[in-house]
Amino acid sequence: MPARLLLRLVAWATLAYLLLPLLVILGASLTASPYLAFPPQGWTLDWYRQMLADPSYRAAFATSSQLALAATVLAVLLSVPAALAIARYRFPGRQAASALLMSPLVLPHIVLGAALLQFGGYFGLVRSFPALLIGHTVIVAPFVLRAVLTLLTPEQRALEEASYDLGASPWSTFWRVVLPQIRPGIVTGSIFAFISSWINVELSVFNTSTALNTIPVKLFNYVQYTIDPLIAAVSGATIVAAVLAILVLDFIGLDLLPDRK
Amino acid sequence: MNRGLRMPLAMLAAPLAFFVAFFLAPLAVVILASLSDTANAWTLEQYVRVLADRYHWEVILVTFRIACLTTLVSLLLGYPLAWYLTRMVRWRAWRRVCVILLVVPMFTSNIVRSFGWMVLLGRKGLLNQTLLDGGLIDRPLRLLGTETGILIGMVYVLLPFMVLAIGNALSRLDASHELASADLGAPPRATFFHVILPLTLPGVISGCIMVFTLAVSAYVTPALLSGGRISVLSMLIFQQYSSVFDFHYGGALSVVLLIFTLVMVGFAGRIGRTRGDA
Repeated sequence: MPARLLLRLVAWATLAYLLLPLLVILGASLTASPYLAFPPQGWTLDWYRQMLADPSYRAAFATSSQLALAATVLAVLLSVPAALAIARYRFPGRQAASALLMSPLVLPHIVLGAALLQFGGYFGLVRSFPALLIGHTVIVAPFVLRAVLTLLTPEQRALEEASYDLGASPWSTFWRVVLPQIRPGIVTGSIFAFISSWINVELSVFNTSTALNTIPVKLFNYVQYTIDPLIAAVSGATIVAAVLAILVLDFIGLDLLPDRK
Repeated sequence: MNRGLRMPLAMLAAPLAFFVAFFLAPLAVVILASLSDTANAWTLEQYVRVLADRYHWEVILVTFRIACLTTLVSLLLGYPLAWYLTRMVRWRAWRRVCVILLVVPMFTSNIVRSFGWMVLLGRKGLLNQTLLDGGLIDRPLRLLGTETGILIGMVYVLLPFMVLAIGNALSRLDASHELASADLGAPPRATFFHVILPLTLPGVISGCIMVFTLAVSAYVTPALLSGGRISVLSMLIFQQYSSVFDFHYGGALSVVLLIFTLVMVGFAGRIGRTRGDA
């Protein structure tokens, strides 16, 4: 059927379009030439070696990882109780509270970054790890909230009430019944939170400095002036990290696009 | 205090306090700054400066044109891909590979992805080389620093969001609706336009909102692919806060971007609701 064939071709072309720039970067990062070349001219891992030998890249990788991890933990601690309160109780201002906690998903990050820069200036809280952490927590918390909220269904509720009926305390009900039920949401939400923080530029760019830099911001500042195989290697390293993260997710059985029932 | 209120309040206290202190308060500071001048007197001067200048209208227009086209192209490419992934792929392993291909870009920074396009779209980039070698063009196309170049990069960055939103809607679709439509003698085309498309509309709309809001406020991709020739609103905002240090004027630009974003989100949400009720 021609319509089906056309659809298939469009889908394949789109997949190729999604893959192409990543392949170009990975290829260019392996070139033996001193300038960026694709297709690569000869093969070498020297650019990766050079990246690993540079303490500023190691520091930026460390900052990015610590920041993403800390923001994710903070987001979970803030969002899980919020999700339970929003799903369980009816109280005035519930809709407003939920809208407020979700709004960083649609608000421009660049505006929030600028706002935090100006606001932080009043407290001397700029270009520091806490300043970065606060901003990142605000933008990643909604991912955890949304993922946990979708699991707090009436069916989940029924089990929770059964636990109370059987005489369990709120504390043990939370640890033994509710937490195992919402764990998949916490895991998925945390992964999206971690990734969003790990790749963020728009927010971080206002609060980084030469001494405190994240990988994406460092790349951003570099790419605007120089394009060389070293920068392709740093980019390539982040692509490899992304692929590994997704393979782990796939392995633990997280289905990002559920199969048809 | 009412006993029914104590629990939710206790659970929400920390998150709400955090968001009020580090989200609402900073935004309020920006709004207040936009309504005052350097002498801290109340004025609408900043907005007059933004809205009375032809240049700003051009930047706003470019920003919107790029965001709208990005949304449209993502939809046109994303729907077929989502369809293919949820309904046509038979071989499970290949489907897994496809989903991984779709998600890897989402897990990499905008920088890295835009950087890939800088390499591809350059004057001597792979795309121009291929077209030249194939004899399709006589001289290299100028793509970097044009709206087309920015559009290619933006669609690339945002397409996965659209595909996941539509794909989730398609995979939740109950097959009995289509069977009923086919049993009643509707040709596949009619079934698609009268049954499947309306039922997946909420997914389409949430994908469009996501892509539009990310596109209208995108900074990294336009900054890297514009080659300094084209400006979008977020680039003007960044300039004010990072090099000009005019927080009043930058505030007014930020509020303009915020308002445009919220209006579009509200508008799209409204379409979704009315169509959903019908």
